[in-house]
Amino acid sequence: MVVLKKGRPGFLGFGAEEARVRVIRHRLEEAERASLILAKEMLEKLLNLMKVSASVRVKEPSSSGEIRERAPIALDISGEDLGILIGRRGNTLSSLQYLLYLMVSHQMKARVLLSIDVEGYRERRYEALKNLALRMAERVRDTGQSVTLEPMSPSERRIIHLALQDHTEVITQSIGEGETRKVTIRYEKQ
Amino acid sequence: MKELIEYIVKSIVNKPEEVVVTEERDSERVILKLQVAPEDMGRVIGKQGRVAQAMRTLLRVIAVREGIRADLEIV
Repeated sequence: MVVLKKGRPGFLGFGAEEARVRVIRHRLEEAERASLILAKEMLEKLLNLMKVSASVRVKEPSSSGEIRERAPIALDISGEDLGILIGRRGNTLSSLQYLLYLMVSHQMKARVLLSIDVEGYRERRYEALKNLALRMAERVRDTGQSVTLEPMSPSERRIIHLALQDHTEVITQSIGEGETRKVTIRYEKQ
Repeated sequence: MKELIEYIVKSIVNKPEEVVVTEERDSERVILKLQVAPEDMGRVIGKQGRVAQAMRTLLRVIAVREGIRADLEIV
């Protein structure tokens, strides 16, 4: 809270002035709240127009550390048979998230970072990629042979790099361009 | 399909009143033609066509279910 002007009690009510304060934190929370409501509404409308029957839930701040940190707004879509919303390597889900980000940001006239999940897919994928990274790092260490993973999106490659950044015997590197960019895990003696 | 594209595009352009989407359909194919104000062209195409590509990906969700092909053209 910022005090812009102190109040004055005045004398017998003469010359009294109201204090003027600005409640910045409150406004910020309000903007975030408005973004959240808008994001949920817009996503529901998108799903409706895509003829997908599903419900949208706001994820609580406590869930899923890694994904939450980067996006203050997290929405989870649930319903029957939603594989079609995820797509190959999560491609459809990424498109949906990117468009919703553009739509909400344009309406709010500010960058509104958001994350969409379908039935916990991203969280499961995060765990799966982390485990894959650790398993492959072991193989690289045991055999001395490099391993190249299948092509991944930037956010998925990031998960691999982060999972192995403190590993003392392997290093990771992204190779290739665009859609076919992938991570290579190499043995490196220290 | 037309409504989906209209809704997305009108939410990301500066001149939503100038957005026009037409739908041509035959038994196996739908062609959507999108028109926007010149100043909004970049917004609906995106860097390296990323926005247009994302819209095509969402169209495919509907198209697959209807057993047809859907194309989005920006004119």
